[in-house]
Amino acid sequence: MNQLADFRHTMQSCNHCGQCKWVLGPKTRGYDFAEICPIHMQFHFDAYSGQGLLHIAQELLDGELQYDPGLRDLVYSCTACGACDTNCKSIRDMEVLDTILALRAKLVEDGQGPMPQYARMAEAMARTHNIYGRPHAERAAWAGEPAGLSATTSQPAPVAYFAGCATSYQRPDIARNTVRILEAAGIAHTVLGADEHCCGGPLWRTGQIDAAARQVQENLDALQRRGVQTIVTSCAECFGTLRGFYPRVADFPFEVKHISEIVQEALDAGRLRFSKPLQTTLTWHDPCLLGRLSEPYVPWQGEIKAFGRHVPAKAWRRGQQGVYDAPRRVLGAIAGIEVVEMVRNEENALCCGGGGGVREAFPEQAQVTAAERIREATATGADTLVSSCPFCQDTFEDGLARQPGAMRYRDFTQLVVDAL
Amino acid sequence: MEREVFTNPLRPEALRTGAALLQSFAADESGAAGRVPSQVIYPQSREDVQRIVHEAIRTATPLVPVSSGPPRFHGDTVPARGGVIVDFSRMQRVLRIDRASRSVRVEPGVTYGELIPQLRAQGLRLSLPFLPRANKSVVASRLEREPTTIPKYQYDYMDPLLTLEVVYGTGEDFRTGSACGPGTLDTLKADLVNPWGPGSIDYFRLVSAAQGTMGLVTWAVTKAEILPRLQQLWFLQASDPARLLQPIDALLRKRVLDECVVLNRAALATMLAGDGMRDYAALARALPAWTALLVVAGYERRPEERLALYAKALRDITAAQGVEPGRSVPGAPGREAEILHLLSNAWTKSADWRIRATGSSRELLFIAPMSQVPRLAATVDDVAAQRRISMQDVPCYIQPMVQGRGCHCEFVFPRLPTDSAAAMELDALHREAAAQLLRAGAFFSRPYGDWAQLVYRDYADGVAALRRLKGVFDPHGLFNPGKLCF
Amino acid sequence: MPLSRDVYAELEQVVGPRHISDKPWILAGVRAAQPSSPMKPPSPEAVLLPGSAAEIQQIVRICNRHGIRYIATISSLIGFAYPSGPGTIILQLKRMNQLVEVNAQDRYAVIEPGVRHGQLRTELMKHGLTYPVAAVGPGGSVLANFACSSGDNHCQHGASRTNRYLLGLEWVTPEGELVRVGSLANDAGWFCADGPGPSLRGIIKGFVGQWSGMGVVTRIAIGLDAWRGPPELPTQGRSPSYRMRLDPACHKTFVFKFPTLEQARDAMIAIGEAEIAQAVLKYFNASAALLATESANEFWELWDSGLFQRELARPLYVFLSAWTHEELEYEECVLRDIIAEFGGADVDERIQRIYSDNMDFYILVGALQRVLRLGGGWAPCKLSGDSIGHMFEVGKAIPEFITPFIEQGRILDAPDNWQIIPLEYGHSAHIELLFLYDRNQPDWGKVPMDFMRASMQADIRNGHHGTMPLRTVAASQAIGALFSNAHMWANRVKDAFDPQRVSNPF
Repeated sequence: MNQLADFRHTMQSCNHCGQCKWVLGPKTRGYDFAEICPIHMQFHFDAYSGQGLLHIAQELLDGELQYDPGLRDLVYSCTACGACDTNCKSIRDMEVLDTILALRAKLVEDGQGPMPQYARMAEAMARTHNIYGRPHAERAAWAGEPAGLSATTSQPAPVAYFAGCATSYQRPDIARNTVRILEAAGIAHTVLGADEHCCGGPLWRTGQIDAAARQVQENLDALQRRGVQTIVTSCAECFGTLRGFYPRVADFPFEVKHISEIVQEALDAGRLRFSKPLQTTLTWHDPCLLGRLSEPYVPWQGEIKAFGRHVPAKAWRRGQQGVYDAPRRVLGAIAGIEVVEMVRNEENALCCGGGGGVREAFPEQAQVTAAERIREATATGADTLVSSCPFCQDTFEDGLARQPGAMRYRDFTQLVVDAL
Repeated sequence: MEREVFTNPLRPEALRTGAALLQSFAADESGAAGRVPSQVIYPQSREDVQRIVHEAIRTATPLVPVSSGPPRFHGDTVPARGGVIVDFSRMQRVLRIDRASRSVRVEPGVTYGELIPQLRAQGLRLSLPFLPRANKSVVASRLEREPTTIPKYQYDYMDPLLTLEVVYGTGEDFRTGSACGPGTLDTLKADLVNPWGPGSIDYFRLVSAAQGTMGLVTWAVTKAEILPRLQQLWFLQASDPARLLQPIDALLRKRVLDECVVLNRAALATMLAGDGMRDYAALARALPAWTALLVVAGYERRPEERLALYAKALRDITAAQGVEPGRSVPGAPGREAEILHLLSNAWTKSADWRIRATGSSRELLFIAPMSQVPRLAATVDDVAAQRRISMQDVPCYIQPMVQGRGCHCEFVFPRLPTDSAAAMELDALHREAAAQLLRAGAFFSRPYGDWAQLVYRDYADGVAALRRLKGVFDPHGLFNPGKLCF
Repeated sequence: MPLSRDVYAELEQVVGPRHISDKPWILAGVRAAQPSSPMKPPSPEAVLLPGSAAEIQQIVRICNRHGIRYIATISSLIGFAYPSGPGTIILQLKRMNQLVEVNAQDRYAVIEPGVRHGQLRTELMKHGLTYPVAAVGPGGSVLANFACSSGDNHCQHGASRTNRYLLGLEWVTPEGELVRVGSLANDAGWFCADGPGPSLRGIIKGFVGQWSGMGVVTRIAIGLDAWRGPPELPTQGRSPSYRMRLDPACHKTFVFKFPTLEQARDAMIAIGEAEIAQAVLKYFNASAALLATESANEFWELWDSGLFQRELARPLYVFLSAWTHEELEYEECVLRDIIAEFGGADVDERIQRIYSDNMDFYILVGALQRVLRLGGGWAPCKLSGDSIGHMFEVGKAIPEFITPFIEQGRILDAPDNWQIIPLEYGHSAHIELLFLYDRNQPDWGKVPMDFMRASMQADIRNGHHGTMPLRTVAASQAIGALFSNAHMWANRVKDAFDPQRVSNPF
């Protein structure tokens, strides 16, 4: 793993151009919905932005800034959504998000972080392997009922469905629907069952790298024992963590696919067909870790020479390879569904507001962002907000509860199952 | 302490004190109250101007700059508090005509009548005010932000003025924009066409529309344009100027037009009438209420193609607006070449077209967005109607400015100098119309005479700022005191 | 002078506790050194987020009462947008972000400081309107660009600098008075910047802005031009490989090369005289290579090939943008005549393809930040204006002083990395030289000042108006006398309006 000091080049390169705060020119569509950083949008001080966090990191490294609970709160107010990173990287060779995550890791390393809520989460995870501290034995309970999911086994298979904590404990319907989809598509698969641990994403993104790495190892062992080659997820957080974090701390010889990609492939191959029309106008929210942050991480060790030349050449993660098309194509293929786009979409999507642990530590802040995203979704004329992230779902449902009648939220898998 | 008397710091022939001459500066067409100046001095160089200023400082003598010949209309050259007239008419050198940078540098005494032919000889022209009188100073016209007839060449209200040299009230000289340096004009290789600055201040704006209160300009650079190879005049007519301004707005958005001006029948008849205005009445009867004169042009490269392209654009755009342009003057066919000539040259039919009808006139002028001009012009008609004053023979011209984003509107009220009762009526109308216009949203960007009181009365914040500026550039308060808010 | 708690409390009373901070971690966000400079700007004493002109007036009056310096900023992209000295508070105007009015009929928009280029440009397209958009990226403040900083843009050949497009405005003077400038003075609307009488607009901005050295501009109107494109410009591709295409029937981009600078100059003048084209540039070649590539390594691959050095040492970029296909055809004929007459030729088709594939000139040459990709030191130089002919004279003299820097390896070997952009159909032009230097070199911190000094000395020696003198006291005192004593007059104006010298004095 890179340390904070490894990102000096990024810190020193920042020109304060503001691209980490604003949607890229080619993607802007008018006065409204042009801001991209959830915290800058809310607090306005430059410190609350990718640029500000880079400069805070630099001053900390240089010993010009001392730790303080207020500083910690600021660092953890960021949703780590990566919008700053993708926007910056459209024009620069800088690692904004990795710097922010390394800053968090440094806070943890120096005993100044994480937020108490995340520390408690890590303690719970050490005991129960999930973020909620719920009994590990209940992790696979979603598979027990209703009847008809008998194919869900823990036997070896080349394809494994990785359900994740939020789905397993809070949103079992998503897990069941995912399995129904896999079955309908004729894909033999395994689940990790009791061998599945938290993916480690919440720990990684709150700077608790060692604890996260332990989860990684547990999961890798389980996957290897089952001879898995492809991991399927229905959770954006797990998806982005598997692709973006695992290769940082371990050999990771697995293909990771999102359920929307599986459905799209099955539709294209004729192995799956929608038979029921669904009358709805929906808009797709690109979860950060399914979209811009889901590109496979390719480790790079090298030197940054004069005038930015990276030796050896570096594979940049600029947000191009996120899962953007598959969910849109799948949903668009369901009769009666009209997919309308928000202004901030794909790699420029606005975070739901709850990412990076913000929903737990700063719930009101998360709701301000969620309200803004719901406003944007409503402006499309859609009646349904669809996504594929149980964390986004939590945040949006909190927000929608405050705006009765605005629209409804549906998980991607639910709509697919409804249309089968 | 007794004030010392201003003593000629220049050559003896540079000073004149003849009573008739002095009296001629004590009044103008505006009726502005003024005093007879004590002397008229004629500088011939920047150094002369500096000597004059130093002498004025020593003797606390007001200086009133004058560049154009009579008739004058705005009261700006009438000494409100006496003093010395600084007459720039002998600073009349055309210092440089530069085809490559399309610019010309002239002293303040250079007039439109002199400059236009010199430029034409080099394939250039000026974007002219509407029918400028031959003895009108080019520099004064530019400094006063007079509108010009080709709005596409105007990017803001300062255009086409570029750089200038000025002597401030301390006696120090200064050059603006890219004329500032480095070094002297002898060593500086720049073409002096960048108007902004130097640095963080647009000094050229500070002396604009200042009526000589901020500094004495000793030369200025103004834009010149390529002389068209081909021109084609088109006409639109309507009973209401709004019907003309809408298509003109559409045309200006697409930069189709060169010259473009809207005239009421009195203005066009005054423009076209022959010697002694003999045919004025017949023309006024025949002409439509409002006529737009629109010119499309071809320049040096593929002029025929350009002309055809832009003529087609003119037809298409006006057709889309529901009006049909014509090629001959409605009501005065066959006069097209003459109109083009008049639009391209200094006015020579009389001393000034504004006083053609009766030998004297009062002007009422304001600017506003084009969309507002018909409404504001109607305000003047209303005031006149209430006062039972006929507007039938009051020329009015509407001049789109700055790519059509703004518009100048000017009424020229003919006045019989011998009819004092009518003159008083007219003065009252003039005052009331100005007040009504101000209330209705007209902008007196150049607040001459009484208008200054009107516009500055409710502008305390701006007046305070302007007076601070005045304190910087004319700390002794020598330049044309009593004008504007100074 | 650190803020006393009493003064802090006074300021807090004005903006509310949520909108003021003097916490070190908040200040850290606004005091980092620019990559081009080894110097950290002075740390502000506090950052405030005022929400209205009335709040700014109160803040400014408090500053005057207590002798506290202030600077108003928005995006802080450029070095001047930082406190000029210690003891300064920063007023970040981001909360004042209303697009107050778009008047499509009279062609102006009224904006507050927080409205950004990305927002305004795309919003105006919906109304069939546009304005000269500076190459500062979508997050740049329109107001700052129009009223407070520079004003050049890449499409000014067929338009002008933003200086011409600034209309009525509201201004909080250095002492806290609110002045309505231009037609606003008489409630006549926003359409005009100048008057009544002498134009106060002149002290708001000159060739460059006041960088908050003359109070705070809180609201402006800008003039608008008609937009020749669609209400929404479809975007293809994903970051960073966006493509935007205007209708090829009416829009076309060309890149030509010339044997000599004089020929390029004469062609540029002729294009202006013919009044064709929206944009004409003698463009940077290293910057062009940066814009054409998507990473520093890709840039190096391209740059090492020598293609851009060979083909774009003396180029003219021309962007034709017409209302009709017939107009485009006419303009192309005239353009081809001119290029042929002055010995121009098409550039290598690999380069031409880059521009044919992505005709959105605004994006291609307007994404300033891409030019910063190499990450090291970077600074603009020259930054002046006069005729096309004179700007080419200035450009031609660049080797005089740039060569030693290249030979000593102090800057990137890119002597042709300068641009000339004409404006108002060639009535004048702007020059800018970009030089890049390697922060890994031991003396990198001295490079920018050494370079700019050498450039200024060359200009003075040659009688070239290649550089407007900097506003700094040192620079002014050293050379102000050579520039008509402009620094002296600027100081007198400053003293008249800011006697306490609290509005970000230099």
